[in-house]
Amino acid sequence: MKKHHNNPDSCTACTVCIANCPVTAATRKFRGPKMVGPTLERMRLSQDDIEPSLEYCSNCKNCDMSCPSGVPISTLNMLARAKYFKNRKRSLRDWILSHGEKMAKLSAATPGMANFGMKMSRGILKKIGISDKAPLPAYASKSFSKLFKNLKQTSYPDKVVFYPGCFINYNDPQVGMDFVAVMQANKLEVIVEEGFVCCGSPLVVNGFLDEAEENAKQNVQILKKWTDKGYPIITCCTSCGLMLKQEYQELFHIEGVAEYAKHLYDADEFLLDLHDQGRLNTNFGTLNEKYMYHAPCHLRAQGMGLPGVELLALIPGLDVQDADAGCCGISGNYGFKDDKYDISMEIGSGLFKTIKESGRDTVVSECGTCRLQIGHGANVKTLHPLTLVRKSYEAYHK
Amino acid sequence: MREYDIVVIGGGLAGLMAAAAATKRGKKVTLLSLGSGTLTIGGGIVDVMGYLEGGIPAATPSAGLLQVGAGHPYKKIGRPAIEESIRFFKEICEQEGYSYIGNLDKTQWIPTAAGTLKPTCLVPRTMDTTELKKADKVTVLGFDALKDFYPSLIAKNFKKIPAFAQKEYEVVMIDPKLSEGRDVTALDVARWLDTEEGLASCIEKMRNVIDSGSVVIIPPILGTRPSYAVKEKLEKALGCHFVETASVPPSITGLRLRTMLVRYLKKNGVRIVEQAIVAKSIVEDGKCVAVITEGVDRERTYYAKSFILANGGFYGGGLLAEPGKVIEPIFNLPVEAPTDHELWANYSLFSSEAQPFAKLGLDVDEKMRPLDANGKVLLNNVFVAGRNLRGYDFSFEKSGNGVAIASGYQAAMSV
Ligand SMILES: Cc1cc2nc3c(=O)[nH]c(=O)nc-3n(C[C@H](O)[C@H](O)[C@H](O)COP(=O)(O)OP(=O)(O)OC[C@H]3O[C@@H](n4cnc5c(N)ncnc54)[C@H](O)[C@@H]3O)c2cc1C
Repeated sequence: MKKHHNNPDSCTACTVCIANCPVTAATRKFRGPKMVGPTLERMRLSQDDIEPSLEYCSNCKNCDMSCPSGVPISTLNMLARAKYFKNRKRSLRDWILSHGEKMAKLSAATPGMANFGMKMSRGILKKIGISDKAPLPAYASKSFSKLFKNLKQTSYPDKVVFYPGCFINYNDPQVGMDFVAVMQANKLEVIVEEGFVCCGSPLVVNGFLDEAEENAKQNVQILKKWTDKGYPIITCCTSCGLMLKQEYQELFHIEGVAEYAKHLYDADEFLLDLHDQGRLNTNFGTLNEKYMYHAPCHLRAQGMGLPGVELLALIPGLDVQDADAGCCGISGNYGFKDDKYDISMEIGSGLFKTIKESGRDTVVSECGTCRLQIGHGANVKTLHPLTLVRKSYEAYHK
Repeated sequence: MREYDIVVIGGGLAGLMAAAAATKRGKKVTLLSLGSGTLTIGGGIVDVMGYLEGGIPAATPSAGLLQVGAGHPYKKIGRPAIEESIRFFKEICEQEGYSYIGNLDKTQWIPTAAGTLKPTCLVPRTMDTTELKKADKVTVLGFDALKDFYPSLIAKNFKKIPAFAQKEYEVVMIDPKLSEGRDVTALDVARWLDTEEGLASCIEKMRNVIDSGSVVIIPPILGTRPSYAVKEKLEKALGCHFVETASVPPSITGLRLRTMLVRYLKKNGVRIVEQAIVAKSIVEDGKCVAVITEGVDRERTYYAKSFILANGGFYGGGLLAEPGKVIEPIFNLPVEAPTDHELWANYSLFSSEAQPFAKLGLDVDEKMRPLDANGKVLLNNVFVAGRNLRGYDFSFEKSGNGVAIASGYQAAMSV
């Protein structure tokens, strides 16, 4: 029953995926995962078929999660999208949204200017198809890798390798710094490898599969090198995590993924495992605070439940309520697109409503782009769970 | 190690009910689920016992229960527990604002989208046929471009049913203007009615074609949420009674019921792990210590004091058919099946006998613990519920969700 067999024939056409697809619920333009995925894939195997509504799939993976037969429906869609674009010209918009890492590197010299430029150019971006309403992330003044280099860690015999990913590296480095602080509080030293590149998730969703594969090869080689030495790899971004351990296996044939995937952890899950082994630092200070929690779809897809919720439950005083209101709608860069913005906001509307009705002004979630979308749609502050874990450790010593 | 009181394997109706009953008893429960179960396909109508051997309709579900054979799961569970389970199910529905009607002493014959009647026991209030039975004139309302619901076919076939033949039928259509994009399904119409604007627009369109006081047969479109808000608003605005039919997948009634039960479980502290593929178990001295999921990344071990195995039958993945044998993959429990494959199926079309194949499954004691061929309990702290049980053909006798509820409940009460 492993999920990466990509066999469309396992589809029994039961239609459960349609009932669970947030895009289908939000727009009639999408024919739905079953039609676009497995049904057409059977035809694609024999002929070059073009499904115009394929562009609406956001790769959120709710179809995969509902499927009783283990068909990786969303991945079939991504493969079909790549095939579609194989001999077709790409839009500048899709190129820009897929190459966040390149863009960030270009802007890295002067992030202040880049942010200013971005504000100024929202009109221009709109012209090429990026919504002028969407919550595009700003560049941080210093990237995570810069901050990390200047940080003096205490050295410990036990070490973990951190895969920061583009969002933490360029847009939200504080999450990475909070992660390092939490590891240090658990007597672990963090290694960050310079050679890591974008996991490829933004490339895959826009059909740049070949480039994504190049990135994958580079990451796989580094990840494998470290896990071979016995170091666990940790991510704080659930979409990076899903790509590195699962989608690489579904999309490509690269040796070694299955081996390192055994030792690749989501940060929250890693801490819970430490707890199971009796070695988590449980000197948690009381936080008498109330938050909402949003479970990213790409976390739910990983078959490990909601480790963030379980982890935060260890902190005394903390009241975290799971919004449990489905997909936020952003799906990486889907909601940034001008022609998808309204769909994305419609998908998230249930979640926004739940959050607003809760009266809580801050939402906790692992995924960076979910946090952007929730901040935008529900007008609240947002945090990564590890920020609260760090805060609680600090409160203990006060 | 994190240890739970109970790990439930499978998130179909049997697993959801087992988890619900277990939390009600104050147990700490983890539910390992894969996919969203048969509910969204099969539907939220609860059959208990529709047909007896030989294809004779049971006078009532109760009467049907009295006549099942010794190997039937109902026989093991026993009448008191079946009654309690139904009461418990209805209690949850009531609490969650989506009450079900019906009881064991009455068969409810409900209309299907094909214009036939189907016997069942419990239905949501959107399928209440009280007014339909009384009405002299019935309106059948269809939606332009909606597939799988043909009002004139329904009207025509109803005329052939003795109890419905005397009624007068009127067929009307409205255009939901949903034709852009893909084919229209009942799910699309239900989602349209979920929105304020859709509901208002639908009321306007309906007002033009149906008279106040009518009884109106419709496809299952009264919203996708487990609530009667859409039904009540429509009925109030138009002064009509609406009756939803049973319909093809994806099932709206099943979707509502599933949403409601999952919400109930989460509210009551059940930890639900999605995409959890249970592959193996660790058994020591006749007791299960843990089950192990097989992720794309790695295995994860879930420890508990007791386990409820509710992972469905051949369809759900709980039983696997291999040449000449049937396998239960997690505990490797024995499934007695004729080695001659030919004997598995009853090949006569429209037979009045159940399918031997459909009756294959796990043998259990009255506590739902798995038994070997000699009737000895194999695992003391494992309890089986739902479609993987031996001795019934849900499709033939119309008992699927009833067995799921009763056995899920019984499993949780036996822990
Ligand atoms: C088309 C159709 C129409 C039907 N109509 C009706 C009706 O009108 N009325 C009625 O009463 N009944 C009906 N039924 C029957 C009814 O739906 C089923 O009998 C009942 O829902 C079975 O419930 P279950 O929980 O035992 O199994 P399922 O709903 O199959 O649930 C089993 C769950 O376990 C999961 N699972 C399997 N293997 C594993 C694993 N290794 N690890 C973790 N999870 C696993 C599956 O993915 C699934 O989610 C219908 C069935 C079908 C197919």
